[in-house]
Amino acid sequence: MTGRSVAANIRGLTLIIAILFLLTSIGVGYWTFVAASDLNGDPFNPRLIAAVRDRARGRIVDAGNGDLAASFRAGDAYRRRYPDRSLAQVVGYASFKYGASGVEGAYQQALIGQDPSDLLGQWRARYLDERTAPGSIALGIDAKVQQAAFAALAGRRGAVVALDPKTGRILASVSLPNYDPNLLVDPAQQDVAWGQLNGNKDKPLLNRVAQGVYPPGSTFKIITAAAALESGISPDQRIRVDDPFQADKSWGDYFVRSATRAHGDFDMALAFQRSENIYFAKVGLQIGGANLAEYARKFGIGRLPDLDLAAAHGQLSNAGSLDRPTLAADTSYGQGELQVSPVQMALVAAAVANHGIMVQPHYATAVRDPGGGILRTIGGGAGDQVIRPETAARLTQLLVGAVEAPGAFAFGARIPNVHVAGKTGTAENPSGSPHGWFVGFAPAEDPQIAVAVIIENAADGGVDAAPIGGQVIRAFLGK
Amino acid sequence: MIRLRPVARLAELRLLVWVAAFSLAGYAVVVAAAAGKFSWAQLLVPVIVLGLFAALHAFLVAVGFRGDQLLLPLALGLTGLGFVLVERLAPNLLIKQLSWLVLASGAFVAVILIPRDLSALARYKYTWALLGMALLVSPLLPVVGREINGARIWVGITGVMQFEPWELVKLALVVFFAAYLDEYREILSAPPRRFGPIPLPPLPYLLPIVLMWVVAMLVMVFEKDLGATLLFFGIFLAMLYLATGEPFYTVIGLLLLVAGGVVAYHVFGHVAARVDVWLAPFASDLRFDTGYQLTQGLFSLGNAGLFGAGLGNGMPERIPVVWSDFVFDAFTEEVGFAGALALLALYLAFVYRGMLVALRAPTTFLQLLAGGLSFIIAFQTLVIVGGNAKLIPLTGITLPFVAYGGSSLVTNFILCGLLLRVSDITARVRG
Amino acid sequence: MEITFALLLWGVRIAFLLLLYLFLIRAFRALHRSLDEEKSAVSARSTGLATLVVTTSHRGGPRVGERMPLRAVSGIGRDAGNDVVLNDEAASAKHAVVSFADGEWWVEDAGSTNGTLVNGSRIWDKERLHYGDEVQVGRIALRLERVQ
Repeated sequence: MTGRSVAANIRGLTLIIAILFLLTSIGVGYWTFVAASDLNGDPFNPRLIAAVRDRARGRIVDAGNGDLAASFRAGDAYRRRYPDRSLAQVVGYASFKYGASGVEGAYQQALIGQDPSDLLGQWRARYLDERTAPGSIALGIDAKVQQAAFAALAGRRGAVVALDPKTGRILASVSLPNYDPNLLVDPAQQDVAWGQLNGNKDKPLLNRVAQGVYPPGSTFKIITAAAALESGISPDQRIRVDDPFQADKSWGDYFVRSATRAHGDFDMALAFQRSENIYFAKVGLQIGGANLAEYARKFGIGRLPDLDLAAAHGQLSNAGSLDRPTLAADTSYGQGELQVSPVQMALVAAAVANHGIMVQPHYATAVRDPGGGILRTIGGGAGDQVIRPETAARLTQLLVGAVEAPGAFAFGARIPNVHVAGKTGTAENPSGSPHGWFVGFAPAEDPQIAVAVIIENAADGGVDAAPIGGQVIRAFLGK
Repeated sequence: MIRLRPVARLAELRLLVWVAAFSLAGYAVVVAAAAGKFSWAQLLVPVIVLGLFAALHAFLVAVGFRGDQLLLPLALGLTGLGFVLVERLAPNLLIKQLSWLVLASGAFVAVILIPRDLSALARYKYTWALLGMALLVSPLLPVVGREINGARIWVGITGVMQFEPWELVKLALVVFFAAYLDEYREILSAPPRRFGPIPLPPLPYLLPIVLMWVVAMLVMVFEKDLGATLLFFGIFLAMLYLATGEPFYTVIGLLLLVAGGVVAYHVFGHVAARVDVWLAPFASDLRFDTGYQLTQGLFSLGNAGLFGAGLGNGMPERIPVVWSDFVFDAFTEEVGFAGALALLALYLAFVYRGMLVALRAPTTFLQLLAGGLSFIIAFQTLVIVGGNAKLIPLTGITLPFVAYGGSSLVTNFILCGLLLRVSDITARVRG
Repeated sequence: MEITFALLLWGVRIAFLLLLYLFLIRAFRALHRSLDEEKSAVSARSTGLATLVVTTSHRGGPRVGERMPLRAVSGIGRDAGNDVVLNDEAASAKHAVVSFADGEWWVEDAGSTNGTLVNGSRIWDKERLHYGDEVQVGRIALRLERVQ
């Protein structure tokens, strides 16, 4: 007989089969152990939702204890009611079919009485079907600021976010277009609504505050200025601006343009008031791309914000660095390949407002037990010192000037008897007319609120956005 | 005709007692958890099932069957788990599954009694090939063919009884390959010329097998059943390896499979859809659409832990068609990783035992036959468990003995009967 | 659900898993036992499925007591292509075929000149062979025996 015997082949095949069985067992073990916590916490996991089908979920309330989500009985199951549509993407929905999103998803376990801090309760729920009564989630949302932000945006596509620069508590968060979450929890309408929402090219399900990314435009000049101040450039030094600008002939037919076609000498204060691109491009080139990139990173550009809801990380540039001079120049005044979310820009303003300390942003402030006592608080970390307090103080002065000085672009954010610090931005983008930005904070002497506003494809860019910032700040300060 | 010469099959009997014990315990928990109370009357169906198991054992004792005593308890243990899971996941299908079990037991008895000489199967090898082809084509015929869930792989009368003929085709395929490869084994495994390390096979002798395989592939493409295509390919490669021991046939075969897969991905929408779901079932545009079944399956696995959520206490019923496609995930969710390992070990024990039967078989034909049959069980288990756990794309293959489905239960009982027959022959030769 | 009922359910659930594993352990123990037997059986494999022991011979033929292994189908005859080669002028080139089928041994004359005898009587058809039966081919007699 030639070759191997059939018996040897049988042994070989059996060995291969045994190895494949072993690999398969390891694969199953991966899902049951390694990936288990991700799967069990997934807001679309029907186990979490079914756990409350026959009883009420916990409430979601704003800072004034007003209902943002509550359960009511509809037929054989409990269903959610969402009174405030302006918070659609923040509060989210808890659908028996389509899972949960927003706070409904992120704090799902607490809302069904299985908060991770209550191990015994979780065990009893899993093995004995005896569930602890659900707690409630308190958000930092301030109803009057929220309403002002929603009204100010006036139905335009965009986002507004306001937060407390000292604690990171989010006071208002509006993202338009939005949707009616009540449709997604109504069995009679959810399928149609779901199909329409997912097919909508304006992406109403997206929380633009944290998940929408845009070029920051001139608002990014705050970061360039911070880097310049800390790299030894005096704000009083005058720099020559001649439109158009290129550093040397190697740029070819590429130029940095001035918004006002300016020719003259600019110091930093004037450059902020007139939002002079060439000034900041020259400053950026002077301190160097690597230095600028380092400050952008410190301010959280291109990094996932430590938010309690889904967020985008955006980018500093496609490659993550600024090694080409033209890219460094463009980035210095907020174009180039930058992508940032409104909450990231609000945090930049907040860091300047808070003596250079950047705190963690958070929507929820506390998980409460059924009796209303605090089970655990959210946020409240020490924060990171991203720039020196003196730098922050100097930047505040410059930003007040950018709002209050005669001819300043951000004049729309002015409030009588309050010093507002802020910066507009007009971001060129491939999707049509430029986006309008405003970021700022107030009062300048003792900042209580930081805001970021974006209007997609605004007619007049940042000039449109500044008044919205002013109205939000005004609503908060009660002026 | 049937000579009664009873022999004791004590090892088999002892193992069957354990089968009865865990089947009853599992079934009792499932019905009690569903009803919120327990009465002995609820155990009627499993008692009937176990009675049937006992009858099969008694039958083997009565006819003086001398074959293996481990394969039947393993197969019946898996079938017992299957009944627990059908009651858990689709109680309305329980009676249907019971009637299929009666039919399957009948088929098993028939295989034990006829044909008197198993080697006679080899003499009619081309008949088997033709029969297999006829079965394979039958779903495409106008009157009897049925398309269910996008796959045209059924024959029968809607609402009365449907059968998936390809389940039987795989047996015909193994018998044909075993017979053919037995006959030409020496020529195939000792190629006269080699091109470097690559053997140049004597093509004329490979032609009938390749032809049969190509026809099978084409038909499966028309019937849109990825699982069966994969299974046929697996049988083809495994049998060729068993007969020749030539690793290059296997390597070339695997390369063909990859190439075919890439082509199929680009040409056939249903293949591309399966692969896309496999790669990213949680993608936002898939998770409520084609990826829904797999994501629900993975949620089940995630809920398992070491000892599971407890039988009747999980939520596997959220997985669409869980009783036939995702029983493994359902079982794992409720009995945990520990249960999943036990289940896989049962299959491995069955396959190992089957391969041992192959190893001891007196003729090459019987060796190839038993090896091929054992391989079917191993391959089906790996493919469906791998699909359930997102290790490979999901296919329509069912978990042998456990998943709900009449065609597969009947086929697997025939398969088990054939393996037992081979071991019986071995026992008689060795005296 | 009542707490005692819930605990009872959990008791049976644990019992189920326990019983499943006990079954598995028994099954693997049986598997292990048979593997041991297999090891001892492997050596027997080379000696064939059964043997023909030479009981009567002549000078120039096989020595008495020589054991000839049988395959599932074994040809007996003078020709070197046979599985059992008998150097005897009275035997035909292809004399007889001993085969195993249907759990039994059978012998059939392959059209020999001098015929094949089982236990002294000439056979005309396929005949059952029991262990201990004697087959006579030419001047040589062979007894069917089990492999030791």
